[in-house]
Amino acid sequence: MAVAEPFVVPRPAWRRPLSLDLRAPRTWSIIGASLFAVMTLIALAAPLLSPHDPLVPVGIPLAAPGHGGFLLGSDSIGRDVLSRCLYGMRASWFAALVVIAGGFLIGGLVGLVAGSSGGWIDNLLMRITDGFLALPAPVLAIAVVASLGPSFTHTLIAVSVVWWPFYARIVRGEISKLAARPHVEAARLAGAGRVRIALRHLLPGALPAAVVTASLDVGNLVLALAGLSFLGLGQSAPAPELGADSARNLSLLLQQWWVPVVPGIAVAVLAVIANVAGDSVRNLIDPE
Amino acid sequence: MTQVRFVGQRFAAMVIIVLALAAAVFALQKMSPLDPVHARLGGQASQGAIAAERHALGLDRPIVTQFGHYLAGLVHGDLGDSYRTRRPVTTDLLAYVPATAELAATGLIIALVLAIAFAFASTLRVRGAGLFRLGLMLGASVPTFLLGVFGILLFYQHFGWLPASGRTSIGNAPTGPTHLLTLDGLLHGRPDVTWDALKHLLMPATAIALGPAVAIGRVLRSSLEGELSSDYVRTARAKGRSERQILLGHVVRNAVGAAVSMTGLQVGLMFAGVLVVEQVFGWPGLGLYIAESIPVADFPAIAGVTLLLGSAYVVINAAVDVIQAAADPRIRV
Amino acid sequence: MSAQLAPEDVLTDEGYAVVATAEDLHVTFRRNGKAIHALRGISLEIRRGEILGLVGESGSGKSVLGLTLLGLHGAGATISGRATVRGRDMVSATDAERRAVRVAHLGAVFQDPMTSLNPTMRVGRQVAEAAGSDEEALRLLRLVGVPEAESRMSAFPHELSGGLRQRVMIAMAVAGNPDLVIADEPTTALDVTVQAQVLRLLRTLRDELGCSVLMITHDLGVAAQIADRVAVMYAGRLAELGESDAVLRSSAHPYTLGLMRSRLTLGVDRTRALPALPGEVPSPAAPQPGCAFSPRCSVAGPDCAETSPEPVEVEPGHHSACLRPLAVVRSTDTVSPVALTARAEPAGIDQDTAALSLRSVVKTFGVGKGFGRKRTLHALRGVSLQVAQGESVALVGESGSGKSTLLRVAAGLETADSGEVELSGGSRPQMVFQDSGASLTPWMTVEQILGERVRDLGRAARAAKVREALSLVGLPAEVGAARATQLSGGQRQRVCLARATIVPPPVLLCDEPTSALDVSLAASVINLIARLRRELGMSVLFVTHDLSVARVVADRIAVMYLGQIVEIGASDRVTSAPLHPYTRSLVSAVPDVGLTPVILPGEPASPLNPPSGCAFHPRCADATESCQDTELGLRLQRVANDDVDRVACINIDLSHVPTPVYITPKGA
Repeated sequence: MAVAEPFVVPRPAWRRPLSLDLRAPRTWSIIGASLFAVMTLIALAAPLLSPHDPLVPVGIPLAAPGHGGFLLGSDSIGRDVLSRCLYGMRASWFAALVVIAGGFLIGGLVGLVAGSSGGWIDNLLMRITDGFLALPAPVLAIAVVASLGPSFTHTLIAVSVVWWPFYARIVRGEISKLAARPHVEAARLAGAGRVRIALRHLLPGALPAAVVTASLDVGNLVLALAGLSFLGLGQSAPAPELGADSARNLSLLLQQWWVPVVPGIAVAVLAVIANVAGDSVRNLIDPE
Repeated sequence: MTQVRFVGQRFAAMVIIVLALAAAVFALQKMSPLDPVHARLGGQASQGAIAAERHALGLDRPIVTQFGHYLAGLVHGDLGDSYRTRRPVTTDLLAYVPATAELAATGLIIALVLAIAFAFASTLRVRGAGLFRLGLMLGASVPTFLLGVFGILLFYQHFGWLPASGRTSIGNAPTGPTHLLTLDGLLHGRPDVTWDALKHLLMPATAIALGPAVAIGRVLRSSLEGELSSDYVRTARAKGRSERQILLGHVVRNAVGAAVSMTGLQVGLMFAGVLVVEQVFGWPGLGLYIAESIPVADFPAIAGVTLLLGSAYVVINAAVDVIQAAADPRIRV
Repeated sequence: MSAQLAPEDVLTDEGYAVVATAEDLHVTFRRNGKAIHALRGISLEIRRGEILGLVGESGSGKSVLGLTLLGLHGAGATISGRATVRGRDMVSATDAERRAVRVAHLGAVFQDPMTSLNPTMRVGRQVAEAAGSDEEALRLLRLVGVPEAESRMSAFPHELSGGLRQRVMIAMAVAGNPDLVIADEPTTALDVTVQAQVLRLLRTLRDELGCSVLMITHDLGVAAQIADRVAVMYAGRLAELGESDAVLRSSAHPYTLGLMRSRLTLGVDRTRALPALPGEVPSPAAPQPGCAFSPRCSVAGPDCAETSPEPVEVEPGHHSACLRPLAVVRSTDTVSPVALTARAEPAGIDQDTAALSLRSVVKTFGVGKGFGRKRTLHALRGVSLQVAQGESVALVGESGSGKSTLLRVAAGLETADSGEVELSGGSRPQMVFQDSGASLTPWMTVEQILGERVRDLGRAARAAKVREALSLVGLPAEVGAARATQLSGGQRQRVCLARATIVPPPVLLCDEPTSALDVSLAASVINLIARLRRELGMSVLFVTHDLSVARVVADRIAVMYLGQIVEIGASDRVTSAPLHPYTRSLVSAVPDVGLTPVILPGEPASPLNPPSGCAFHPRCADATESCQDTELGLRLQRVANDDVDRVACINIDLSHVPTPVYITPKGA
């Protein structure tokens, strides 16, 4: 019976050579997912891309787009709206990534520990997580920033505090689904210890779901942070911030519409880019 | 039997979470760099006056006692006095809540209508569903305040169809008993008031509805599609039931659960949307109240709004759970 | 109901002879971007009033044929040819026409009655949907033998047992007196004794209602028990078709012959390795030209790889799709000679040394999640068992018998509430699981998985050890670089065995390792386990629901019922001369060619609430008053202790016992 039939290991999908076949959905997903990198590069290069200093008046106030050397117009004291938007996008993008990374790490750790240890540790950690999830995250974030005093750091802390429980739930869910599979028991019988099982036999299986959630979440965060900033819970006055720039200039809406509208559009552009990229990552990781 | 038990346990969990929320708000107040005595008396108060005020406010007592007092106050509806308006926060909230409640409820209804239309159109592959879906997704990627701003530019400034701010443009609008203008108009036999209130509601409510609509619609669509490919649907088809009978008779009942839970969760997002959009539309609700409180660090006011919205959210989600448990025969046994 | 049908379409004449046909039917559908050729030109007819058994392994296309006849093949399938029901082509018909045919002429029973019923709708309403009224639904539930049908009308599916759920499915299927009932593996998810009841019910209903039944099954024994004619499918084509007796007793196709020979029955020669078909079923994603079976066929010639054979009549009414003459096929041993190596008796069983001994093991679980009332599931109720060094013992039982829990307690994966578990030498046992795919970490390579057991070795030594372990189970070294998803079912189970034996354990625990495999693969895995056991000197504890598997793999069989061993003894003795009434009914419920099963009434009681006294007494034909005595229950717990041959029953007549057996004395 020990006849060895010839066996060739097929290449896994992610090692297949990159094809540029534009009819293949995979190609489009790769292009879409790379938007994350493209947007990060743009955010990094904001100082190079901006035609003017965002903080300094450089021309006539309230110039319409295309006039007075302002591509997207100028605000009430003659600052370049385009430059302010580019800097604002940079701040929003990195803020969103920082919160996601924080949530991913804290939530992932909590979820991993809870799911792989089970028992009372699991119960305790998940009750705490559920407690957070039972409260409306955005409202809680507003309360936290408002009481600590408006500042960019406080906003980031507040949003991270209310954001990680989502990741804890997802990672814990995936881990406990995996933990019920016999492969974990087989590993136990093979002599693997708790930590090894958690890191080698459980964690890699939970990562795809967590990564998909995280990439779909960037857009949500961009919008949530813009909302906080709009309520005045972001950086203080002269700093370029999209939500605040729009809120402060609402009174100009019916006359100089571009001043409040353009920063809002910048938020929407960020969110659309993030959503397209997030969708693409999901399609790449688990194609229906 | 077990259902009574379930409701009891869910209610207990709800109370615990509200207590935790109160504790969190109390802790925030303690962590806050703002000094309530300073806020009340201003910078020029004498040492003696400050000490007397501290004593009057109970700030010289142990923290546990302070928390006890705080809780006792909450139970009696005492949220402290606003630094800004100098009125009890409870009084202020009662004045602002109806406007916010009316806006949030209308937004929720619009969100549900859009979500259901979106989910059924994609599941049934209705012509134009793709376009509808794309429009909705794009709408959900736009920040709430920008939706409001676009709405004002388009429907107020350009077309002149809808009003741009406030709850009503009728001066002598009735003010009771519900304080919801749409209902009060009907109750007082003033359809013009209701109609006018609806026109004022349409833009802000739609602006806060789009995000939740997409979230709820996605969940509903995927559970509809999941149920449609399940074994019992194959059985129903084998019996010769029509697709309509299968969808309405079998699938919807099993598919709504996830969407209802999602709706409960989206209420939180909706509250945040309300706070933002009220500023854009000058809507005299909690959002405007909190927006005016933030710059002057009116902590009691901020805490009051947080407690109120947080508790509403917790209660709504507990109710959602209980309704779902009642509807699912598998929870009985 | 059939309003959508034009009058001329409804065949009202009673003179039809053929209910349904498949005519050169090809069905291809796409899955993950690949074309799956499920049916590749199949023609057959289902006669009026007959039960046609449609037999095939996984991927043979048998279920697709059933779904196509129902018109439920889905929108994504590419279909050519015809699939007619009462003359109406279900392939070209409109949706409304298909629906009308289903209402008027068809009924269906599917494999898993739990998922096939709507979980949130009362079963009465679900049956009434097919029956038209509540009164008719009630009549049907009574017809299919649902006890207390009135109260069951308002039950939800989860409140019924598996057997009752399947009866409800059957009630829906026969609603409106269909001409054809399509039953797709209706008994696969059920226990053996319940399977026998359901098969009997289907046959009785056919006799009473005169409908035809298309019985789709992977189990030749099931087909033999119920079918008038049998069609054997292989890789989307028809291999053989004829009267059941002709096909199963004097098979004409090399594939059927191979299946019949590698099939496990209670009559298989235990002293030799099982004859196993070489290779595996071809992938429906990449069909080869010619006869699909030719790569595995011992009589294939070069022409077989080019010409696709059509079924020809080899004897009256008996068709076979093979290019070779019948005489050649029948005279040749169709199974691989490699498999026929003599099966030497194991190196030696040391009866005096216990490799594993369990004493009075009790295990309960708390069930009822979240908010429900907590209830206690009595999985093991005082089990004692010894496995001698080098011995193989099989645990046989139906669902809820506690057999898997006992194995998991032995493995150390569960801790017993009370009782002792002792392993000789103290080293860990290893385990092979039912779902081999799920027991391999998906993102790790085979080499990493196997290497985990020899982590203390250096890199080179480890690699060598992995290669050695793989070659011992008959896998090439290249498999080491693969992940579980890239392997076939047979290869995965071999990898699991390689992991278990890379460092030979004193005891190998097997949890239904063959029940998810096709017949032809199961035999080769069983052979492999036997060879490893012999070569490595391991003891084996083997859990299975299938007595014929137990008989082949084990020296002794322990039969479990509701958390207790009711009988234990030498494999041959237990299967040929069972003593306990439960064992007797288990043995007689094994479906096989030419056997009429004795039907055991009822279903296993719930381990949440085991009956007092002898747990089997509610189903036992010989039960007396004293069988429900609570004290008896305690006494029976102690019966099967330590001895090699025991029966826990107080009603056994000693004069019938062929071999010396220890029996609980009546008063003891």
